[in-house]
This record gives sequence, C-alpha cells and structure tokens, in this order.
Amino acid sequence: MSRLRRFLHTPEAVAGAILLAVLFAMALSASLLFPGDPQAIAGPALLPPFQDWSLPLGTDRLGRDVLAELFHGARTSLAVGLAAAAAALVIGAVVGTLAGFAGGLVDEVLMRIADAFQTVPGFLLALAFVSVVGPSLGVVVAAIALGTWTGPARIARAEVLSIRERDYVAGARVIGMHPLEIAFREVLPNALPPVLAMSSVIVAAAILTEAALSFLGLGDPNRVTWGGMIAEGRTVLRTAPFLSIVPGIALVLTVLGVYLAGEGIVETTAVRRGLS
Amino acid sequence: MSLLAVSNLTKNYRRTGKPVAAVDDVSFTIEPGETLALAGPSGSGKSTIARLVLRLIEPDAGRIEFEGSDFLALRGVALRARRARLQMVFQDPLAAFNPRATVARVLDDPLRVHGIAPRTERPRRIAALLERVGLAVDLAPRAIHEISGGQRQRVAIARAIATKPSLIVLDEAVSALDVSVRGQILDLLLDLQRRERIAFLFISHDLGVVRAVAHRVILLDAGRIAESGDARTVIDLPQSAVGKALVAAAPRLNRYRP
Repeated sequence: MSRLRRFLHTPEAVAGAILLAVLFAMALSASLLFPGDPQAIAGPALLPPFQDWSLPLGTDRLGRDVLAELFHGARTSLAVGLAAAAAALVIGAVVGTLAGFAGGLVDEVLMRIADAFQTVPGFLLALAFVSVVGPSLGVVVAAIALGTWTGPARIARAEVLSIRERDYVAGARVIGMHPLEIAFREVLPNALPPVLAMSSVIVAAAILTEAALSFLGLGDPNRVTWGGMIAEGRTVLRTAPFLSIVPGIALVLTVLGVYLAGEGIVETTAVRRGLS
Repeated sequence: MSLLAVSNLTKNYRRTGKPVAAVDDVSFTIEPGETLALAGPSGSGKSTIARLVLRLIEPDAGRIEFEGSDFLALRGVALRARRARLQMVFQDPLAAFNPRATVARVLDDPLRVHGIAPRTERPRRIAALLERVGLAVDLAPRAIHEISGGQRQRVAIARAIATKPSLIVLDEAVSALDVSVRGQILDLLLDLQRRERIAFLFISHDLGVVRAVAHRVILLDAGRIAESGDARTVIDLPQSAVGKALVAAAPRLNRYRP
C-alpha cells in the first residue's frame, strides 16, 4: 500500500496515470459509444469541429466521424503499443538470460545476432518487414518488436552475468536443478526489475512507430489508426488542419501519459529498493 | 572403501597471464560418518577445494572418487542425479537462497528435482524436515528474508539433508552466525552426523570450532597441504609454520564441546 501511496504523491505519476486511464476508457468504450464501423460515412465531408453536436469533432474528407475514429484509433494504438512492448520484453529477457547464463558460444552467437539487429535502424527494419509480409495488426506488432528486443536483451544479459555468480545459483546447481530451470526460475525473475524499468520507453516508442507506419500507409487497412488519420488529413492540411491536429494531440498525450506513469513506477520502486 | 577420495587435485587461476595455483596437488579421503576439516588462512584454497569437490568448478588435474565411482566422469543427468548424495551449506545463509523464495519453496526444490516425494506428499515432508532441524512448521510459508540468520542456516541444513546425502560440504557454515547460535547449529550438525552417519567436509578458519567438531584436519597454505592429522593433535601441537601461525593468531581458543 505504501508504494501506491508514494505513487499517488508524485504529481507527474498521477498525471500520467490519469492520461492513461482516459486512454483506456476511450479504447474500452469505443464500440459502446460508437457502435458500427468507424470508417463508415456519417455526415457531410470536411465538417469542422464544434459545428454539429452529433459530430463534435467534425468529419474528414470522406465524411467519417473524427471522434469515432479517435476512439477506435485509441484501441489500435494501445493494442499495438502494449503487444509490441510485451513481445520485445519477453524476447529480450529470454535471449538475454540464455546468453548471460550459458556464456561461451551461445552467448557469442546470440549477442552477434543482437548486434546485427541493432546495426539496422529499428524503424527501417519495421518498414521492410511490413512491406514484405504485408500489413496486418500481428505483422505490425512483430515488426516493431523486431527492432526493440535488443535493448532489453542487453540489460537482461548484464544483470544475469552478475546474478549467476551468486551463491543461490551455486546452491541450485548443488541441489541438482536443470540448468534451464535455474536460468528461468532462479535467475530471470531476479534480473527483471531493470528490464521492466525500460517498458514505458518501449511502449511509447512502439506507439510512435505504429503511428509512423500507418502514416506511411503500412498499418492494418481494416483498422482506424491515429497515424492513418494524420496521413488522411495531410492532403487537406491547409483547409482542414484539425484533421491532423486532433489525432496528433491524442498521440502526444498518450506518449506523455505512458512516459509519466512509467517514470512514476520506476521512481517508487527505486525508492523502495533504496530503503531495503 | 573411502566415501570420498580426492587425489592430486589441481586448479590454476590465470591472473594477468601468469597461472596461479589456487589448489596444488591436494589429496585426501573422507570416511563415512567422519568430519574432515579444511583450515587455513584466507586465499589458501579452502573454498576452491569445496567448489571442486561439488563440481561447481572443474579441476585442471586430479581425480575425485565419490561413493566408489569417478565423480569427475559424470555429465548431465547422471551428474545431477548423483548430486543428491553430495550437498552443501554456504557461509552466508541469506545469499544462499533466491531472494524471492519462501522457506517451503527452498525445501520443495530438492524433493521435486530428485522425485523424492509426489506433489501431494511434499508439504508433509517439508514439515518433517523443518522439525528435524528444530524449526516450527508454521515457518514454511514465510519469505527467506523474513526469518533470522540462525533460522536461515537451519533451513539451509534442512535443504541439504532433504535428499539424504552421505556427504555435506560446510563452507564456513557457522562463521557468519553469532556465538550462541553457532553452538546450537554445531549441536544440530553433530546430532545429524551421529544419527544418519553423514560425513562432513568442514571448512573453517576458526580452529576452536575445528578442534571441537572435526575428527581430522588438513591445514592448507597457498593451495598445498601444510599439515594433516588428528584434529586435536594438530591444533594442540602444530608442526608446520602455517599451523603455528594459525594457532598463535587465535588469541583464546573457543573450546566448544558438544
């Protein structure tokens, strides 16, 4: 409980948590508040915001409801951001643990593979992957995870290198435990905190990468995405700038919320560790 | 036949290119139910020998025979299975356990790994082990960091005896405990040895404790055996230079008698 209280006493953490809560509420209520296809035509084209209260944020070039698109876009952003970050963290933690714990040739091979991925810019990798495999939600998640797993892998490996020399790992070997069980049951859970501290940065980066891919037309075409909305609005930027500005603001607030909340969590756990 | 026969054991560490012998041509035997102490100053190779005997590190040369077979020849599954017979208690009982573990999980691991008891029977076994080392059964769900140092070392001993070993390596197992707790832990160890004929490889720098619990002692100096023999004889009248220095360095021998 004291951790929660400390979290709530950090103003930026509270601000981040509120932003994220609003975002989650939008994503969860999207199909309740805006049932039906958000990509269907709802009114006249290019209706500016705050003119017609049945379409509060106006309509885009094809007459689609911007507010409905915004709500449904929150779903995509959150789903892709969280799934890609989770995939990157899991792959990174597993690869880093194996490399650090096994050492020798396994370590060399795994880390050279990580090097290879790191030499290619993550966004370029995602771009190439999606253009080859084809745009769908799963592919976009995989493409983003492909470019981000190396960071968590390096941190996990460094942590494992220090943990594997501890007495309790020797103790597990003396007990006769299988090396894989030692790696994933004794070592990995204790190597996780610094890896998880990266998660907010990774989620935020994944959301931005997804938006950038969608902006370039490489998002899932069957889903509304904020990046796609910005790209849509780009063609009429002079006459109807709100079409790009509204999803842009949503994107900024989301990334900000993820950063602030993540920062708050790291802060509170760091204090806890410092005390113990 | 000896329980453990170590011959010509050698381990070099390379430090700035030049190999340094941590353990140099060391041979000894341990009989069933016997306590052999390894004593010596810091850096004399005591802990390295312990880790070699347990196959936590591999020797550069030498043989280790355990229960009549070549222990160094074992690999993989066979080695892990044989580890049930050869256990260890570490110096720092807090570092020896996963910081996330509970007492029950620590004791459950060896029973599960070696298939000693089915899942449903294990809680009963864990309770019996806790009782055997003089701990309350309701300690089982507690986290390792919540219990006292003495209790933790008892848990470590319970874990070591869970697989019914014939030899337990005690690497400075009582050095980190305060004096009153130390006596109780030594009593527990001697009681276990008497009843279950477990042999101990007892590593310590405390000659008072060595004299009280060990049958035989080996004094090490810079990786070599300086002197060995009956524990009381050697400590009361050391012949080697390092033996004399060690005895002289202990201002008052804590003559512990069980």
